[in-house]
Amino acid sequence: MEYVSPEGLRLDGRRPMEMRQLRAELGAVSRADGSAVFEMGNTKVIAAVYGPREVQNRSQQINDKALIRCEYTMANFSTGDRMRKPKGDRRSTEISLVIRQTMEACIMTHLMPRSQIDIFVQVLQADGGTRSACINAATLALADAGIPMCDLVTSCSAGYLNSTPLLDLNYVEDSAGGPDVTVGILPKLDKVTLLQMDAKLPMDIFENVMQLATEGCKAVANYIREVLLENTKQLENRRGV
Amino acid sequence: MEHKLANSLIMTVNEKKFIESALLSDIRVDGRRPFDYRNLTIRFGSEDGSAEVQLGQTQVLGFVTGQLSQPYRDRPNEGSFAIYTEFSPMADPSFEPGRPGETAIELGRIVDRGLRESRAVDTESLCVIAGKLVWSIRIDLHIIDNGGNLVDAANIAALAALSTFRRPECTLGGEDGQELIVHPPDEREPLSLILHHFPVAVTFGFIGKENTVVIDPTHYEEAVMGGSMTATLNINGDVCAIQKAGGDAVSQTVIMQCLRIASVKAGDITSKIKDAVESYNTQRSLRKIKRHNPDQQGSSSDVAKRHMERLTVGSDQSGIASQFNEHDKTNKRNSTLKGFSGGPASWDPYSKGVDGDALRISLASRVAPVDKQKEESSQVNPETKSNPKSSETNSIALTREVGLEKKQSKTLKDAVKPKHKRRNKSNAS
Amino acid sequence: MQPTIMEAKPSNLVDQLVVPGDVILDLSNMANQTLKLGGGLRQDGDSICVMKAGKLRFMKPNKYWVESSQKRYVPSAGDNVLGVVVDTKPENFLVDIKGPALAFLPVLSFEGGTRRNIPKFEVGTLLYVRVVSANTGMNPELSCMDANGKAAEYGILKEGYMFESSTGLARALLSSPPHPVLEGLGKKLSFEIAVGINGRFWVNASQSSTVILVGNAIQKSESLSLVQQKIYLEKLLKSIQ
Repeated sequence: MEYVSPEGLRLDGRRPMEMRQLRAELGAVSRADGSAVFEMGNTKVIAAVYGPREVQNRSQQINDKALIRCEYTMANFSTGDRMRKPKGDRRSTEISLVIRQTMEACIMTHLMPRSQIDIFVQVLQADGGTRSACINAATLALADAGIPMCDLVTSCSAGYLNSTPLLDLNYVEDSAGGPDVTVGILPKLDKVTLLQMDAKLPMDIFENVMQLATEGCKAVANYIREVLLENTKQLENRRGV
Repeated sequence: MEHKLANSLIMTVNEKKFIESALLSDIRVDGRRPFDYRNLTIRFGSEDGSAEVQLGQTQVLGFVTGQLSQPYRDRPNEGSFAIYTEFSPMADPSFEPGRPGETAIELGRIVDRGLRESRAVDTESLCVIAGKLVWSIRIDLHIIDNGGNLVDAANIAALAALSTFRRPECTLGGEDGQELIVHPPDEREPLSLILHHFPVAVTFGFIGKENTVVIDPTHYEEAVMGGSMTATLNINGDVCAIQKAGGDAVSQTVIMQCLRIASVKAGDITSKIKDAVESYNTQRSLRKIKRHNPDQQGSSSDVAKRHMERLTVGSDQSGIASQFNEHDKTNKRNSTLKGFSGGPASWDPYSKGVDGDALRISLASRVAPVDKQKEESSQVNPETKSNPKSSETNSIALTREVGLEKKQSKTLKDAVKPKHKRRNKSNAS
Repeated sequence: MQPTIMEAKPSNLVDQLVVPGDVILDLSNMANQTLKLGGGLRQDGDSICVMKAGKLRFMKPNKYWVESSQKRYVPSAGDNVLGVVVDTKPENFLVDIKGPALAFLPVLSFEGGTRRNIPKFEVGTLLYVRVVSANTGMNPELSCMDANGKAAEYGILKEGYMFESSTGLARALLSSPPHPVLEGLGKKLSFEIAVGINGRFWVNASQSSTVILVGNAIQKSESLSLVQQKIYLEKLLKSIQ
């Protein structure tokens, strides 16, 4: 199948290096300490953060840093074929683990010993790149909750179809069976914390695709930065400063 | 609280600091350099499709079994495979019995992704009847001892077990051409899987503030390291999968450097697996010479027909049975007795009354000694042939167990279990 | 009865290998005399039975015990052990000594210890301590002082690396004549070593490579016979030069 037309356009009309429309909204869940909705094109996820709070299960308490927990779920209506998925299947357990460890890389856990931070992310609409969207949403929600972080983790995916590196795959491109590289970076340090990839790819091409995904992450980072600045400005206005 | 403290690995401050400071002078606690891999040994059980991998102190068992089943609806002409991990609580004090934990799932997913997405296993050749019947392969990975770097060891175990696995040949026949015939292994040589390439996982740990890179971390290093990355590559230098699930951030140049090192290591490991498989196959064919003894031929097919009930693919006890015959006198007496009392001669003494799983475990636990015996027995082989007792040897030599058919003459309709549940494998992301 | 016949004859199994269930002494034909039983022995009616596999030892006039090598340690008073601090409580440090229960190290049991100068140990500190009391049903108690209230060589061990061994190896390292490998290495290299009878030893040297070499050589020597040890040592010493 042709995923990139001879004119260099993708199925949804984007250019290979073009990202989908980003949209973010802070404070979507009123009861949570921090929350955010993040959209990448048709992919839409919601994240809520509770904490730092008292550790619920005392045996899990860590004496010198905060305990981070993360739960990733997909809403039943998020995919095309609507079906009930058993809770805690292998895929979501793994993604929960990946998101947790990625967020741990940027949260200053040692500042909040003997406490617990819960991150809940749910996919509302799935159109490829849910993992990345979840990480971006979680970052925003953590920032909204005022949790100290050393940097804003952002994530983006890239693939390689019809011998063209493609940024930010949608569902159709993702399920084409080609390589799929998800990268999560700390943009200020320019270092990679999350890197997942599957399918066969020669090493030099992989480097290009990873580079492309990293550029995507930086673009996301700029957007998230703007959103946060805007939000902070509004908070200032509300306080009447 | 105290209970938990007692179970987790207790690392002293001294050890943490030492591992970091020693790394600065390019040396690790077990005497390795940062990019040395630990000693790798691969052993095979007497059955096809079982392998035991020892990587330093880490020990992983891999078992591959196959079963005929209905294909997934979205892939009607492809067989399937699934990976099951078992973190036995005996392997590490922190492993708890019960449902697989996060690490167990992650490990399974990494191995699975490396094999599946790079299409290492030719699933199309596992199709028997398109849309109706395919082979589904199950890979069981049992962690026996946790000495660190379980992912690599488990991945090697999976590859080794897959490359020695054999399934009975299936054809359609009968009067209307619709009957499924599973050929017992002594009629037609069972087929091995088609593996296009070996995706080998190589794990790196990032230790300390400088994120010093070490390959193949031990469990002490795992307790100290801030992050890890598993790169799955094949011998051609293709990247098949990468997993770096958060943790300490590293720069892209470091990642590319790791990939280059990993591709070299992957080449070494691939050739190690291939050598081990080759020597296993030579031994196997030596055993086979014995199996195709002419005076055995007639009765064995008959037997196979009758005893298809407990046929598990690829379980071939001929090796072990003959070893027992030579090495264990009492056992021999036992088995010959049974052989004469129960009509058909080729009974495995073990398949009566002992269930397959227990047998498998007991076999697994003897892998090491058996291996030695195997060498001996392969030398003894020619003598045994001329030996008057050889017919006895053969008589115990064979049993195969497969899960599905009771009788060979069963029709296809009965053979296919209705499977309403469809597992959606194409995930949305 | 007739004390003349029944002299205090030691069991004929002394210095032999015994396994659980072996009867070493039959009391029914023995005179009234006091026997002292050490680890691995028990009285069952009129006989003294073995509980652990090992070598039966006898010390005049009446002490019996079974010497065995194991990974776990059974605390007994007077032993010098290496412990790791796992938690701090107001009255005690909780210390792991590889025994069945965590041991208590009272915060005052240091030389000149008062309420004012309680030492601060972070979790994971390595200590060379003495077992003061070990009774079943209670956590063992430790001390960082010798019987005279002096610090002696007890206390915190800084830097270096702690290796695990079996209790048998630890005993061999402490025995006299000294362990051949340890003695041989000591002639060529300069390093510090502290051996805990609970199956741990700590090595420190100015160079990390020396620590690693000594530690691994000692660990490896356990599985070698005396002759093999000598050959191994010679090889090792040659490779150093």
